[in-house]
Amino acid sequence: MRAVWAGVAGLAALVVPLPADAHPHIFIDAAIEVVFALDGQAEGVRLRWSYDDFFSLTLVAERGLDPDFDGVLTPEELAQLNGFDMGWLPEFQGDTYALLDSAPVALSRPMDWTVAYEGGKLISTHYRRFDAPVDLGAAALVVQAYDPGYYTAYTVVDATAKGRDDCTVEIFELDRAAADQILQDALAEFAGDEAAEADFPAVGAAYAEEARVICEG
Amino acid sequence: MGRGALMAGTVLACGLGVVWALGGLGPLQGWILEQQRAAQSALAGAVRAIKGGAPMALAGLLAVCFAYGFLHAAGPGHGKLVIGGYAVGRRVPFGRLAGLALVSSLAQAAVAVTLVYGVVALLGLGRAEAEGLAEEVMAPVGTLMVAGVGLWLAWRGLRGLRGQAAQPGQGHGPAQHDNHAHHHHSHDHRPDHAHHPHDHAHGHSHAEGAVCDSCGHAHGPTLAEVQGLTGWRDALALIAGIAIRPCSGALFLLILTWQLGIAGAGIMGAFAMGLGTAMVTVAVAGMAVWAREGALATLPGQGAARLLPWLELTAGLVVALAALMLLTAGL
Repeated sequence: MRAVWAGVAGLAALVVPLPADAHPHIFIDAAIEVVFALDGQAEGVRLRWSYDDFFSLTLVAERGLDPDFDGVLTPEELAQLNGFDMGWLPEFQGDTYALLDSAPVALSRPMDWTVAYEGGKLISTHYRRFDAPVDLGAAALVVQAYDPGYYTAYTVVDATAKGRDDCTVEIFELDRAAADQILQDALAEFAGDEAAEADFPAVGAAYAEEARVICEG
Repeated sequence: MGRGALMAGTVLACGLGVVWALGGLGPLQGWILEQQRAAQSALAGAVRAIKGGAPMALAGLLAVCFAYGFLHAAGPGHGKLVIGGYAVGRRVPFGRLAGLALVSSLAQAAVAVTLVYGVVALLGLGRAEAEGLAEEVMAPVGTLMVAGVGLWLAWRGLRGLRGQAAQPGQGHGPAQHDNHAHHHHSHDHRPDHAHHPHDHAHGHSHAEGAVCDSCGHAHGPTLAEVQGLTGWRDALALIAGIAIRPCSGALFLLILTWQLGIAGAGIMGAFAMGLGTAMVTVAVAGMAVWAREGALATLPGQGAARLLPWLELTAGLVVALAALMLLTAGL
């Protein structure tokens, strides 16, 4: 019977991480800028998303833009393209999540968006306001970039604070081993609870890269 | 292969499973993600090169597509689940499993081509609609079929166990042979039993039992014929379950190349992706066969025959369970 369990373990090797199946098909380099008001409170976040070459090419071709294929879009074409990624469905959370010492901070829908096409990459920016100005105090303001469904993989390439010069901003890359552990735990829980179907663990959060802002203030 | 070498396969498979379960492959996954990103950029470059009329550009695209397919298959996925589960559960020779893996990957590419040129181009749907169709309709159907294959395996395992319980401890009675042959495919380690029905089958048409019943043989359809039939049904179910869920990467490429007027390159690229994917699935099949034979080699004589239905039942249940989890996760 030991051999039976050997077979089971072998199979389990193939199966265990299965629901993490979704592998990313869009890669985004994200830049995060936390914007402070004159009174020192954080008022919002500006995001810059730089799409990978392949997705950019697909999207530009799909719109029938850049027919001469020189990698340059006319101002008219850019105007037409602006907001291509801003038509968010109500349930889409924008793949950006803010936390003040691990308590979620609500963000507005996107505003003030722009688009550019540089070096074969589409680069869009948008701004999201905190629902209420955030007084950081000694707490860390964390801004995470991730897609809960992991269809898009975000890499935080730049993080800055605008409007205050006494803040340190650090980028934390994901700890993949820890994230995998969270996934396993979530799945173990999930497997034992059929009611959990309704809210399958948003394991994407564990795979988040984040910017962490701490001010001396 | 000697017994030791066979058992090494079981040990290796279990070891890999444990390392994976403990998150030890994290760095590897990080590396794969980086490579996927690089392949994605290379894909854009290759498409641009073709569009720009660069020499050898098509060969470049096909090479990139092959790598893309390989990398995107390197994570866990339903194709590897079903091929691996089947390989553990049924005593199918490696060559045939590898063939199944290859055919199903190419069929998956064919489904993507059909979806893009048959549905998207004809009905004028966009990329988002095509992906919606693939993700929300075809993927669940494929997963359900995989679950069905799992349940079918489990049911046959259960039937085998009931058969064993009916004749406990028999030595070499004909019923035992019958039972035995049912769970082994004809390429087992007993040439005298294996080849006989095999040759026999080639002498007859592979028709339904009813035809054979009328052809004068007392024993009806031979075992090999029955196995041949279930084998074909297995094969079709496996291929369909895997193929029906087209890869998003292939859809992206097909739609992009169609819009750029280089459709032929895109179609060849989709099949190159399929070949890359097949490399991984074939490797999984090999691993699973090695592990299965290793587990069987630990048992002397009739022990292996007793173990097979258990393997079949367990593999079937695991495949079905995982597929259902995947389904609920996707909803």
